[in-house]
Amino acid sequence: MRNDHRILDLEIMAARIRRNVLEICRQRGGYAAQGVALADIAACLYFDELRPDNEGWYHDRFVLSNGHDAIMTYSVLAETGHYTMEELRTYNADGTKVDQSPIEGQLGFEITAGSLGQGPSQAAGLAWGLRQQGLDQRVYCLFSDGELQEGNVWEGAMFAAHQKLDNLCFIVDNNDMQASGHAGDVMGVEPVDDKFTAFGFQARRISGTDMAELLDTFEEARNTKGKPFVMICDTRLWDGIDCLQRALPIAHYTAQSAVDWDMGMKEIETTLNRLETKRDE
Amino acid sequence: MLLKGAFSFDPAPFDEISYDLCRRRKDVVIMSADLSKYCQVVRVKTELPEQHLDVGMAEQNLLAVAAGVAKSGLIPVATCFACYITRRAYDQMMICMGSGSGPGTNRKTGPTNIAIGFTPGIANPARIHHQAAEDLGMVRAIPNATVIDPMDSTDFRAALDAAVDRPGLTYIRGHRGDTPRLLDSRQFSFEIGKTYPLRKGQGIGIIATGLGTQWALEASELLSEQEIDHSLLHVPTIKPVNEDEIVDFAFAHNQIVTVENHQIVTGLGSLVTEIISDIGGGPRVKRFGLPNRWAPGGTMPYIRTQLGLDAKTLANNIAECVR
Repeated sequence: MRNDHRILDLEIMAARIRRNVLEICRQRGGYAAQGVALADIAACLYFDELRPDNEGWYHDRFVLSNGHDAIMTYSVLAETGHYTMEELRTYNADGTKVDQSPIEGQLGFEITAGSLGQGPSQAAGLAWGLRQQGLDQRVYCLFSDGELQEGNVWEGAMFAAHQKLDNLCFIVDNNDMQASGHAGDVMGVEPVDDKFTAFGFQARRISGTDMAELLDTFEEARNTKGKPFVMICDTRLWDGIDCLQRALPIAHYTAQSAVDWDMGMKEIETTLNRLETKRDE
Repeated sequence: MLLKGAFSFDPAPFDEISYDLCRRRKDVVIMSADLSKYCQVVRVKTELPEQHLDVGMAEQNLLAVAAGVAKSGLIPVATCFACYITRRAYDQMMICMGSGSGPGTNRKTGPTNIAIGFTPGIANPARIHHQAAEDLGMVRAIPNATVIDPMDSTDFRAALDAAVDRPGLTYIRGHRGDTPRLLDSRQFSFEIGKTYPLRKGQGIGIIATGLGTQWALEASELLSEQEIDHSLLHVPTIKPVNEDEIVDFAFAHNQIVTVENHQIVTGLGSLVTEIISDIGGGPRVKRFGLPNRWAPGGTMPYIRTQLGLDAKTLANNIAECVR
């Protein structure tokens, strides 16, 4: 039995992350729709799955492959206390240290991830190196369905399966959206789960927005032995903010002027109030 | 600095270099992309298999996985042919291996990432696709990268030893097969950036790197026989080179000549002219190396002759510069 309180706490956290995404992106625009859609995954990952170390960071390693989804990482790291919202409001500004698509070594970012399709191989190499040293750290790598069009992703998948890297968990943001439109129209990547299964992965296809399902899937990943794990998350842009999903269903990059940020913020606040009231009952 | 008398050959320099390094450093991983045998990684693969990692015939994966291995705290030494490790996987070399350390990045000192390109330039008999005539220029363009083109097996061994203690990306051109031992390891001590005078004279100053230094030594013999005075400077580090040493050498001569197993565009010749022209008023620089056109294939002596890089033609052309 899942602990309902734990799920509710994570849902509240996801709502707070969504609020941070909007607050950051309303300054100058950004990849808001993706950040919002990944909020549940981020909450689950950072507040449940990644084990903390003794130095204020995490024992397990998270590799973000699609750099533009950094907005997700920033927004969750504001909740963990690793960034302040004041810092994060400079996202996308001239001279900021808060790169829209970050560079290796910045707090929260293992790799330089703006050249797409290079995360899975690096995560696999990291997982191999940790296992080789007898370390028990797990490696999580988030990448997008658009990146599945890059050959390097499949080279990395082949390596991970060949090396039986069961300390590795891929998370595919399968949102059917890339720079020029729907991935299915630009260059179809389905069936994503069957492809990874054929490559030797334990694959699980989920919504990516249901907290109980996310917790179960991360647990399945941890319990999978002898092969790497992939969770394919069928998210949709603006997942969790209905008004924006209806108003702007295909925004890859959200310009500051494209969205009624107040409308989105109002919906989040309503959700947050509802969840917090439920928690306090 | 050079060994005297007839020189001996190392039949498989990297086999021994990689094995010795892995014995000494348990944190080193020699990586291959289905070419371990052809890069002469044999003993590590068979005797120290836990320090060998093959990613299959996938060069982008080789360098991206290597960058991941580096982030785990180990030191990857990715090996492949120079053409594939640079051209085929340039973005992975630059972004995955090369953007995590040094000025302009987020860290003063990031993980160590090493790539070795074997059979560079015309050291490979298969023309066009297997001949990397531009690898030095490509990697030299990567900010903070270290680029080394060793002249013999002693130089090669020392360069790799220096690279494992260096943060960031280091690219080394590898030697394969019968490689002469030219430097006297008792007198030669490798330092990144340092240049090495192999002959001191006046008038003509020859600056060479890698296999080009071997060719320059052969030409130097012939020039000496003809009593044509000259100097020879070996420059193993293409980046970051000690520019002052290049400048001092260049301005002490009337004519500078560069010799490299690389296109005369973007390689050592370009580097030397850039340094000298930034100052102005220096000597003329004549660049010898591979032209900016497809080189022929075949045996090394044949290709050298075709390109005017055989000892006799090279010596004549160098002498011609001052006639």
